[in-house]
Amino acid sequence: MENVEKQRKKTYYGEFGGQYVSESLMNTLEELDLAFEAAVKDKDFMKEYDYYLKEYVGRETPLYLAERLSEKYGTKIYLKREDLNHTGAHKINNVIGQLLLAKRMGKTKVIAETGAGQHGVATATGAALFHMECTVYMGEEDMERQHLNVMRMEMLGAKVVSVTSGSKTLKDATNEALRAWTKEAEDTFYVIGSAVGPYPYPKIVKEFQRVISKEAKRQFWEKESRLPEVVMACVGGGSNSIGMFAEFIEEPEVELIGVEAAGLGIETGKHASAMALGHPGTLHGMKSYLLQDEDGNVQIAHSISAGLDYPGVGPEHAYLKASKRVNYVSITDDEAMAALAELCKTEGIIPAIESAHALAYAFKRAETMTKEQAIVVCLSGRGDKDAHTIEAYFNGKEYLN
Amino acid sequence: MNRIEEKMNQLKKNGKKAFITYMTAGLPDMEGCKKLIHAQEKAGLDVLELGIPFSDPTADGPVIQEASYQSILKGTNLKKVFKLVKEVRKEGCGLPIVFMMYFNTILHYGLAEFAEECKSAGVDGLIVPDLPFEEQFQLREVLEKDEAYPIILQLVAPVSGKRLPMVLERARGFVYCVSSMGVTGQSADFHKNILNYLKEVKRYSKVPVMMGFGIRTPEDVEPMKEVIDGCIVGSHFIRLMEESGYAPDKAEEYCASFKTELNAG
Repeated sequence: MENVEKQRKKTYYGEFGGQYVSESLMNTLEELDLAFEAAVKDKDFMKEYDYYLKEYVGRETPLYLAERLSEKYGTKIYLKREDLNHTGAHKINNVIGQLLLAKRMGKTKVIAETGAGQHGVATATGAALFHMECTVYMGEEDMERQHLNVMRMEMLGAKVVSVTSGSKTLKDATNEALRAWTKEAEDTFYVIGSAVGPYPYPKIVKEFQRVISKEAKRQFWEKESRLPEVVMACVGGGSNSIGMFAEFIEEPEVELIGVEAAGLGIETGKHASAMALGHPGTLHGMKSYLLQDEDGNVQIAHSISAGLDYPGVGPEHAYLKASKRVNYVSITDDEAMAALAELCKTEGIIPAIESAHALAYAFKRAETMTKEQAIVVCLSGRGDKDAHTIEAYFNGKEYLN
Repeated sequence: MNRIEEKMNQLKKNGKKAFITYMTAGLPDMEGCKKLIHAQEKAGLDVLELGIPFSDPTADGPVIQEASYQSILKGTNLKKVFKLVKEVRKEGCGLPIVFMMYFNTILHYGLAEFAEECKSAGVDGLIVPDLPFEEQFQLREVLEKDEAYPIILQLVAPVSGKRLPMVLERARGFVYCVSSMGVTGQSADFHKNILNYLKEVKRYSKVPVMMGFGIRTPEDVEPMKEVIDGCIVGSHFIRLMEESGYAPDKAEEYCASFKTELNAG
């Protein structure tokens, strides 16, 4: 029993995390954990991972000083350009890592869940590269909203399965992927796209997104010979943010800020801020902050950004909030869209709407900062995928999300 | 004594096998649900599993997912199901009642309040499919405070393997053997090594071994009858109820004939 308790503690971040899955998956999760621990200690494995990040993904990504924005807001604003990665966002970093791990474990098939389709496209891309059979679970509603990404995944050879249960969106696609994995775990690897899910997934995703802050910390040092004052990133499930924070968590002088989606405003109830209004709950194999109704059913999140439209949040983020290491704030649809427009016009960069949330808060945070100080913002993805939503929003139409 | 344990002891003494059904609470509505419970008790059902609907039932197949969703739409929640159980108890129902539910529903209700409410309503056991052995500590700690609180029933799967001794060491009531990989409501295409697996479970289990997932007819469990102490029918029963318009006599007929055939020969 003592061993069980010790093993259990390992799976937690404070009171969050754990393995809230069916008995059928417990051995699979243990197998995955052992394989992952061995892989990251294996120099050849990490060398291969680094090789693909450099040669295939196109890393490292620049840490760009946005001069005109910096001038306007009176503090240095650096952008970590994850939008320049192959497939257009940070998602591919994690996918390459997990697929190499799948290969190492001898799995020939991979499955993934996707909301907006970015993680699905990244997984389909990696599966094509490594010749693996790929199935992506996607909510029926999301398939309609993100038709272009469905086409992309199919071009890359993946099978896209339409999920028609529940709210027919990301949370239900994740349910369905979990169900499929329970049945097929013997030869199938589940590639989770965010820092969520049962342990060891939050740890795996953090490790394979850590490259963001590893590079950013070194790049900032090369430019400024010090640490930045503030580091921030948007938070849906929390993969780009955990990667952006990873190397700074142990640097207490660096202020860390996670930006959630406030949708139409927290007070309207139509938002995706699990940390602002959620209560500890269990979903998708983890205990974390969760948006739920008075009966304990999971509430539908709302955000103009499909990538932040998730009712939960990764367990390490819940812990970083509880321990007060990271400050979590939220930004509305309107604030994010204004920041998006500004970045387009002042710097010639069209960001993903997700990333625009982080940027919008950077503008607010800059108010109390000096010209010499600096904020590093993770620009997690590019906005090409959002073209329709952006157009609909600025034309005053009912937007798609 | 706990109603489930009492029933299991009695069946064992008489050399009988247990028959258990699963139904989603609140369908077709609370009144109809009560009628189905009474009809099944009359037919000789041994244990009733009541599913508490949840928005994200990750351990369930399409039939129970849909039933769960329909029940939520009808306004079913934990509080109302407690009321339902209290009412059927008042009407004389002595069946052992098990709640099959997801952990978030318990967590949200509050563990201590939940245990207390189970006691006062007359809920005897809990099956929580997303609460594996390692995560049961917190709940077990609460439930062990009072003998009248419900017991946790353990689930095992064909891939449990080396976990069996740990999971089964202190198991109470009965052990629920998931007969195939994956979710509820699969076809009768059972796991290839099912017999060996059931024997392995039997070896470690001090309590009766029940087989569930994908069972429709007594013939489905015929090859395993020598090993198992009973079986559980879920998805098939729900479908049967849907098709018959939740007719109590249909439920009664199905239970009675399954129970008879299960114990024949």
